[in-house]
Amino acid sequence: MTESKVYIVDDDDAMRDSLKWLLESRGLKVELYPSGEAFLGAFSGDLRGCLVLDVRMPGMSGMDLYARLKARASNLPVIFITGHGDVPMAVSALKKGAADFIEKPFSDQDMVRLIESCLKQDRAAAAKRAEKASLARNMESLTQREREVLGLIVDGKLNKQIADDLGISIKTVEVHRSRVMEKMGADSVAELVQLVLKLRT
Amino acid sequence: MPPNSIDRTSSQSSHGRQWMMPNVAVGAFILAMIALVWLLQKRDFDQQTAALERDAQWTEQTLRVNMQSDEDFLQGLAREAADGQIDGARFRARSAQYLATNPQLSGIAWLDANRSMREIEPPSAGGGGSGGSVAHPEQLRGLAAARDSGQPTYSRTYISKDTGPTFDLFVPIHRGRDFLGAMVATYPVSGLLRHLVPEWFSSKYHLSFTGAGNRLFAENSAAPPRNEGLTYSLDIVPPGNGIRMRVGAYRVDTSIPKDLPTLLIVGLSLLVTWSLLSLRNNLARRIRAEDALRAESNFRKAMEESMPTGMRAIDMQGRITYVNAAFCNMVGRRQEELIGASAPFPYWIPEDVAGQAETPPRSLASEARYGSHGGIESIYRRKNGERFDVRVYEAPLVDASGRQAGWMASIHDITEQRRARAELEASHQRFMTVLDGLDTAIYVADLNADEILFANKAFKNIYGYDAVGRNCWQVTSACHPEPARFIAAARKLAPHQTPLELYDIELQNGLNGRWYQLRERAIQWVDGGVVRMEIATDITDRMIMEEVNSRQMERLQQTSRLITMGEMASSLAHELNQPLAAIANYNMGCVNRLQANDYRREELLAAMQKASVQAERAGKIIRRVRDFVKKSEPKRGAVAIAEIIEEVIGFAETDVRKAGVRIVVSVPADLPAAYADKIMIEQVVLNLVKNGIEAMHDTPRGERELDISARANGKDFIEVNVADRGPGVPAGQSERLFAPFYTTKPEGMGMGLNICRSIIEFHRGRLWTVANSGGGSVFSFTLPLDPQ
Repeated sequence: MTESKVYIVDDDDAMRDSLKWLLESRGLKVELYPSGEAFLGAFSGDLRGCLVLDVRMPGMSGMDLYARLKARASNLPVIFITGHGDVPMAVSALKKGAADFIEKPFSDQDMVRLIESCLKQDRAAAAKRAEKASLARNMESLTQREREVLGLIVDGKLNKQIADDLGISIKTVEVHRSRVMEKMGADSVAELVQLVLKLRT
Repeated sequence: MPPNSIDRTSSQSSHGRQWMMPNVAVGAFILAMIALVWLLQKRDFDQQTAALERDAQWTEQTLRVNMQSDEDFLQGLAREAADGQIDGARFRARSAQYLATNPQLSGIAWLDANRSMREIEPPSAGGGGSGGSVAHPEQLRGLAAARDSGQPTYSRTYISKDTGPTFDLFVPIHRGRDFLGAMVATYPVSGLLRHLVPEWFSSKYHLSFTGAGNRLFAENSAAPPRNEGLTYSLDIVPPGNGIRMRVGAYRVDTSIPKDLPTLLIVGLSLLVTWSLLSLRNNLARRIRAEDALRAESNFRKAMEESMPTGMRAIDMQGRITYVNAAFCNMVGRRQEELIGASAPFPYWIPEDVAGQAETPPRSLASEARYGSHGGIESIYRRKNGERFDVRVYEAPLVDASGRQAGWMASIHDITEQRRARAELEASHQRFMTVLDGLDTAIYVADLNADEILFANKAFKNIYGYDAVGRNCWQVTSACHPEPARFIAAARKLAPHQTPLELYDIELQNGLNGRWYQLRERAIQWVDGGVVRMEIATDITDRMIMEEVNSRQMERLQQTSRLITMGEMASSLAHELNQPLAAIANYNMGCVNRLQANDYRREELLAAMQKASVQAERAGKIIRRVRDFVKKSEPKRGAVAIAEIIEEVIGFAETDVRKAGVRIVVSVPADLPAAYADKIMIEQVVLNLVKNGIEAMHDTPRGERELDISARANGKDFIEVNVADRGPGVPAGQSERLFAPFYTTKPEGMGMGLNICRSIIEFHRGRLWTVANSGGGSVFSFTLPLDPQ
């Protein structure tokens, strides 16, 4: 897991540099990229933090980069910086799932508050993803028969019914059941069902 | 007339057979006649021969009877002499008496046993009377035979010096056995002929007596008999005395000639033959005529059958007497169904049965109505009910004697013809519809006479409906190229040189002011001659469009400066944002660090230096804009406001139409020109017009009206007003409208009215807005009349 950072992509050197100066004064880690291409080159799926994107850039525009990142299943929250007259573009970006946008010129407070909320959101999302991943791993460890039993448990069936459905003895069902509980790390049937539902969302 | 050779030959051979019988009959007739004549002749001859024989035998019989009676007389004398009952005187008396009645005897003598004459009567006979003797040897031989036989005996004929050929009859006188002499009767042959043959016989026949060796003793006439073949000869009694009687027929001179029947028969036969021959010739002529007639009739029949034209004859009673195959095919009925039918004919259509106009005229006088001139049209019905149009030509049918025997009609199926005509008409109609439907004016003119032969509707709409037939140069005087330029060369064109383009030019019609593209070609006309065809396409709209386009292009170029200015303002805002935001960031970063008391001096210094660099950058941007504005100094001159308004309406046309806005312009004609940069003012007016249209977005469509007016404002200014029927400007907001970046539109930048005001103020004019008394708002600006 990488460190949570603010990634700034802007073609204007002064903007990049001044933002870094500003954000570092608020104790944030900042990484700078002069263009969308440069960021895409450095991008990997496990980057954490938030992305600050200038809408208007020569070459790959902010919107283009955003679309590319979406295509590569990026989870980074994105804040667009828009100039005058770019508002409609920013609105459409929001509709496509961007975190927020901020219009130039902006106050440092607004900017920092926005970034911090994005970072927090990213952390929560990351935790959720981690939990889901561990659940998925647990699920992986189940045998075929255990998975069938699990499915029937989640459907709310009793041991007897499960035994009838699968054509095995109640005893065997109970063995499978306890193994499933163990592997999934659940203390009760209710918890088990919750875990499975979480995994399905 | 084409002769039918095969038919001819066969008919000739049949004619040969035909002619055999009459020829044989004529021959047989002639032969029969010849046989008849021969038979008649033969019978005639036989009859004559029989008559001759009969007559001859009858004569011989007469002779025999006479001689027998002479014999009897002599025997009587001889008996008397034997008995001695007679003396010389008595002898003489009886003999003389007998001789008187029997002149055929020349004399009777009484011989004694010594052959000397005792008595003789007449005394002259026997040369010297009694005392004479029988001297001739033949007499002696006869006497001897009589004495020896005791029977009367005739002597052979001898020639007496007194009587010529003569013979004697000796009758012996016996007393017991004693021969006492003989009685002798002398017959001169000529006496026999003269006295015993009747007169009618002599006149009818040639009679001769001949002796041995065909010696002629006597004949009744020196004339020879008519026919040697028609003779008969026989020996006269007593046999052995050698006289032969020969009878030959004379020519019979009856009142009817004997050969007349034969001649008549022959003559009549000749006549009959001649008449038969002439009849034959006549027949041959007739047959030839018939052949010719048959050939002609066959020819006509073939002609009739081959014709698609139906033929139908009706007699004076209105019955059909003849139909040809074509007619049968036409009405789909067999000949038998039609022949003899009378009105209503089966091929009439039912609704027209009563009033069929086809009934022929009854007199020759009214024939003209039906004659071959045009016939009448009618509708017939086939057997299957199908109907078809016909044209009927009727003519009187005149028989050989010149009387009218009926009516002959020829019937033409004109359905196809009608359909073709209708199609032709329709096609012509279509063609005319297409031509008349064109906006393009087309006319065709004679190459030499310049007379208009054809003009379509579009042409007539321009030049009048009486154009066809008139001189093309007169008609098109408002719009044609100089004929001299091409007409001389065109007039020499031959049909094979067409089609040829004569010219293709664009001309303005002097009368209606519209522009036409005139293309003229020489083409071959329907009559084969060369004509000129001009195609005039109205290109006014295209010309206007082109002009508008070129003007718009020009304007686009001219207004590019302004557009650049607008863009400039937009990019200025963006560009200024950059350094300003950077300055703010640097600044706040410093502030934050100073507040947190967590800084290094060098860091702060560097950040603040960077901030001043950004401030300088902003300054440069400002300077660049100012330089640009300075470079695009407006070019001012006298501009007509009316012209500007007109052009702006042209620019805004799309928006106007889309929004359904009615634009009302009122500009006094005597309004003086303003002193201004035309393009800039256009931009201002366009801006105001567009604002006005947009302001009426929520106004009901029928009420969307934009009034553009201009008038003098004082003596130095003109004033332009653009009044809309929108919601108007809220009170107290009107000045804010002109502030930079103020906008009510989602895409607006808020530069429009601000720039407009700048432009107008640059021109020393004013731009303001007031509420429209009828609702909405009025934007007005003023412009000076002259530079100062």
